[in-house]
Amino acid sequence: MEKIYQLLHALLPSVPVWTVWIAAFLIPIGFIFGVYLTIFAFTTLVERKALGRIQNRYGPNRVGPFGILQPMADGLKILLKEDIVPRAADKFSHFLAPVLIVVPGLLVYLVVPVAPGMVAVDLKIGVLFALAVGTVSVIALFMAGWASRNKFSLLGAMRAVAQVVSYEVPTVMAGVAVIMAAGTLSTLTIVERQGGGILNISNLFVIGGLAESARCPFDLPEAESELIGGYHTEYSGFKFALFQMGEYLAGMAMAGVTVTLFLGGYMGPGSGPGLVGGLISMFWFFGKLTGMIALNIWIRGTWPRLRVDQLMGFAWKVLLPLALVNIVAVGLWHFLTPRPVAWVVTTGWLAIWVVVLTKCNAGAALEKREYRYI
Amino acid sequence: MNIAFWIISAVTVLGALLAVTLRNLVHCVLALILFFIGIAAHYFLLRADFLGAVQILIYVGAVAVLILFAIMLTHNVTGTEGPREVLGVKWWSGSAIAAVLAILLKKAIQGDALSAILPAGAKAHSSAAEIGKALVAGWVVPLEAIAILLTAALIGAVVIALEEIRKSR
Amino acid sequence: MSIPLGHYLILAAILFAVGLAGALTRKNAIIVLMGIEVMFNSAILNLVAFWHYKHFAVPTAQLFAIFAIAIAAAESAIGLALVIAVYRHYQSVDVDKMKELKG
Repeated sequence: MEKIYQLLHALLPSVPVWTVWIAAFLIPIGFIFGVYLTIFAFTTLVERKALGRIQNRYGPNRVGPFGILQPMADGLKILLKEDIVPRAADKFSHFLAPVLIVVPGLLVYLVVPVAPGMVAVDLKIGVLFALAVGTVSVIALFMAGWASRNKFSLLGAMRAVAQVVSYEVPTVMAGVAVIMAAGTLSTLTIVERQGGGILNISNLFVIGGLAESARCPFDLPEAESELIGGYHTEYSGFKFALFQMGEYLAGMAMAGVTVTLFLGGYMGPGSGPGLVGGLISMFWFFGKLTGMIALNIWIRGTWPRLRVDQLMGFAWKVLLPLALVNIVAVGLWHFLTPRPVAWVVTTGWLAIWVVVLTKCNAGAALEKREYRYI
Repeated sequence: MNIAFWIISAVTVLGALLAVTLRNLVHCVLALILFFIGIAAHYFLLRADFLGAVQILIYVGAVAVLILFAIMLTHNVTGTEGPREVLGVKWWSGSAIAAVLAILLKKAIQGDALSAILPAGAKAHSSAAEIGKALVAGWVVPLEAIAILLTAALIGAVVIALEEIRKSR
Repeated sequence: MSIPLGHYLILAAILFAVGLAGALTRKNAIIVLMGIEVMFNSAILNLVAFWHYKHFAVPTAQLFAIFAIAIAAAESAIGLALVIAVYRHYQSVDVDKMKELKG
């Protein structure tokens, strides 16, 4: 935003400062809204067609050639639907919950760099901001379930909150390992410093990110056959569309942060400062983002869902120890000086722990389940 | 930028007032969240960026959820809620004590010559890196003590809240 | 930014008084705990305001504030666990009913 402000101020020196300020605000925000909401719209279409193909059928193909106009049709339909609010519902919370789900999803895009120097706000605590804002959506999940005055909604909301809160911990710790290796919290600097060798921890973050945005295989809260509809049972019309949008935006935000932290952001052959380099960087960034989203869709189409106790057990007994082990591994890698020695030691350390954790958790699949109101 | 201070202060005080005044418990928690976000905005204004992010992460992300869970587990949202009967003795005495405290504090603050404005040569931002260095270089013992405290709080909270389930089985 | 330190201190004092009024006046134990959280936050705001105006070069006060936030979170967790345990016994969270030490 600073750079746009200076650029505009240099180009149009006669325009009053506050106008340039407002323009410098609006341009990145307009970019985020325009680009990411369009990506969201077409992600819904691509997801349905890809899932259809995985399931040996066509996806939507009636509206427009190859179903391209399907998102418009969906949007129009859902805008025209009746908005039903249960009589006993808490009107204020019922209204506010969908809004609170969308806003954190959008806020994360403020710190994701798209090209060299092009990040909406270059915060020195960029990664911390992205992770902190992601935790705000928990409140919205709870409010949605509570405001509906429906016991099943409440159970679904409790499960969703427990899932998101549990998976925050390994996700943040996987992010911590990257911050350790890069030495900074600013997303722009992290992208610029990605020289290599950070791919080994991306798995943790991907899994954590998936779970946190409640996508399959962790989508128990929103699965159609479980608990009616989970926390969004009592929502219809545009509020339901906002819930879907919030969920997709959170998934895409997690994909964006993964690309930034682990896959090199906008780096690629040909990327660099300047107009042509900037355009190539944007091409690389959006290509990697599309790759991550495609990975999400692929996982959704092929893997079964985890049951809620399996889900929680996975977070606390497998992912959290692995995240801690990973931090130690990144520390070792950073400080052991001959590079081959560092690689061998780190890989050995990780392998030992993976084996140990697998042995420890082997009995979990066959445990008799204790019924509690999780 | 002064206007930012006044707006954020107004939001913060409004959040705190609503949090202690509303009848519906969940609305109180929402006002409390507004208060927390207002305080985080003040931290950003005071150029304590890391602290502002930590405030949002811990208070809005964890403590507010904790309070919501406690509300849900105690089933007492509306009904006989609200402040004690207005014009009752307890309401008046509680509010009077708070008002007296506020007036005393204001007198104490204005009595001291405390109108310091930020010195001009200060550097732009305090960074998270120096906080990290200070934590592990000079202040390791408090860091470890906090870790032990949090572990003890975790175990204690679980033990207190689970005890009844164990007894009833 | 030319806000004198006194304004921040008065803001913190007002917030502290609001939190205190909430903790003293309300009947529901959870709202009492929320008032205590408001008081905590106003005190930490006070600390950070002093840091900004007096000791900006040294990060020690931010550490103090981080520790204080961590302690406040731990305290609220224990407080709420206690409220839940008491609810199980008395079937209500009304502080007026919790008059006896003996169960």
